[in-house]
Amino acid sequence: MSALVVDHIRKSFGDVETLKGIDISLESGEFLVLLGASGCGKSTLLNIIAGLAEPTGGDIRLNDRSLIGVHPKDRDIAMVFQSYALYPNLSVRRNIGFGLEMRKVPAAEREQAVLEAARLLQIEPLLDRRPSQLSGGQRQRVAIGRALVRNPKLFLFDEPLSNLDAKLRMEMRTELKRLHQMMKTTVVYVTHDQIEAMTLATRIAVMRNGQIEQLGTPEEIYNRPATLYVATFVGAPPMNLLDVLATNHGLLVAGSETVIPLPPALLAKVPQGRNIKLGIRPECFRADAEGGLPLTLRCEVVELTGPELILSGSIGTQRLVATLSPRTRAASGTDVTLALDTEALHLFDAESGQRLNVD
Amino acid sequence: MSGTWITTRAWLLMLPLLIVMVAVIGWPLADTVHLSFTDAKLVGTSGSYVGFDNYVRLLSGNAFGRTLFTTTFFAVVVVTTEMLLGVLAALLLNQQFHGRTLLRALLILPWALPTVVNATLWRLIYNPEYGALNAALTQLGILSDYRSWLGEPGTALTALIVADCWKNFPLVALIALAALQAVPRDVVAASFVDGANAFSRFRFVTLPYLAGPLLVALVLRTIEAFKVFDIIWVMTRGGPANSTRTMSILVYQEAFSFQRAGSGASLALIVTLIITVLAVAYGTIVKKVAGSAA
Repeated sequence: MSALVVDHIRKSFGDVETLKGIDISLESGEFLVLLGASGCGKSTLLNIIAGLAEPTGGDIRLNDRSLIGVHPKDRDIAMVFQSYALYPNLSVRRNIGFGLEMRKVPAAEREQAVLEAARLLQIEPLLDRRPSQLSGGQRQRVAIGRALVRNPKLFLFDEPLSNLDAKLRMEMRTELKRLHQMMKTTVVYVTHDQIEAMTLATRIAVMRNGQIEQLGTPEEIYNRPATLYVATFVGAPPMNLLDVLATNHGLLVAGSETVIPLPPALLAKVPQGRNIKLGIRPECFRADAEGGLPLTLRCEVVELTGPELILSGSIGTQRLVATLSPRTRAASGTDVTLALDTEALHLFDAESGQRLNVD
Repeated sequence: MSGTWITTRAWLLMLPLLIVMVAVIGWPLADTVHLSFTDAKLVGTSGSYVGFDNYVRLLSGNAFGRTLFTTTFFAVVVVTTEMLLGVLAALLLNQQFHGRTLLRALLILPWALPTVVNATLWRLIYNPEYGALNAALTQLGILSDYRSWLGEPGTALTALIVADCWKNFPLVALIALAALQAVPRDVVAASFVDGANAFSRFRFVTLPYLAGPLLVALVLRTIEAFKVFDIIWVMTRGGPANSTRTMSILVYQEAFSFQRAGSGASLALIVTLIITVLAVAYGTIVKKVAGSAA
């Protein structure tokens, strides 16, 4: 049985349709990340699941119970907000216990639950402070604690880490993952940060213009992006895209003489004479040319970041980036031959942006 | 640049303002203090030194005690009512509904009217012969005969209180509305998910954000209500039988009606002292509240 079913949810504000029929089905204990740029509708969807906004059409079911028209407090969900949303004049203790207090849970039981959550989040020494006396990271822990004590069927997170600095964000990310592995509660998590999405999710829904571009595991999203948008949105530096044309020998890179030779079995499946976008992730290039498809490019800029070497170059008029081992020897202004595995090639129809399933 | 030069320059830049302030506030104040120790009349004699005679006579007389009580009563009732009405109006106008913008604009109207216009308006409403209040109450069957609302000692002060509340609650509402719009949406949303009812939401989410601005409104309105003059002067002139006489009216009567400049000055200084105490007390509270909210 699915824990959460989002059934063709639509939402319009006047003439503007922000959600155009969203379908998601989650198993119990799954960690779904809604990933997308701002304005894609991911927060609207989260608010609809929370009951803070009403959908224009469609249904939401949690454990087979429709949530449409159900008050947020009766949905058995807890939510963590980007701005932490703590009650400013209540102590940390009462902030965490607020949901239980409103549900008239006896004080002793409440205290027990608050202490347990505080211990789990390592904020026991802060229980008698006010939110104004806490750092951003501590506030976020309190906000998570407030969600934890409720022991809900579903956790909703609305960009919970985006107000934290980079180091703290990484720590909290690991912490969230640890908590989820321990609690095994179903989670829907909104973010525009692809690293958060990749590391936390059991499944990712990449959203764009009120629609889901692709719904899949982080591996599927990364290794088999369904559209050009997903391909370029996930991954840093972003995936290289080359305009190519399929010929009898291989893929001819537009604006150059370079042909990427493909194995005949693969080449046979590529539609001839169509404009194709060839996607190659920068990290899929290898410096040792042996045993792969060779690709020669003009090396323009070499940047050593420490753990890797970023090589920016071009084939004809088209630019591309490769991240290589820091031991790679490359000098700007020379030609460098790199190797690729056939699995590293992603082919997309240039017009529709859809993936061409040739492998 | 040395620290002394910066300090000197700051004083130099403030000098023009300081001169103006000494001229329009400092000098008259000093003169009033001097006047309060004399038996000067408004016209004619410049008076001779009488020590604390004016203060002793005023503070031991009947008029002072009674007027102080009337003023305090007026201020407490008016400020309390205005705060309650103002917050309620603000909560209402913070909801989403059609015509909200129009209603928000209309709200400011009573406060934007000059006090004299407002007072004249209410005098018409209370008019014993053709007033709207009398007409409404008799036609509804609540009242059998027309009454002179401003002419009877029992109703005059209440009638004034209503008029003053109508004029000034919009200010409180405006301040409260601005504060309400600063309440973070996420905190409100969190309280929904946490299951807070309307009262808890007001108590734990809205009120903390309202408290500071409301305190400022409270300070402003208390001080203004304590020194109220114009609305009363236009509507009742402190009558009937001194039932609506407040401190400012008493000062005016003493100094200008009875032409006793010396004792008028003493009285004015007493009122100033009371208001200063109020202002300092409130200032301390505001600082405390602001400190705990930060």
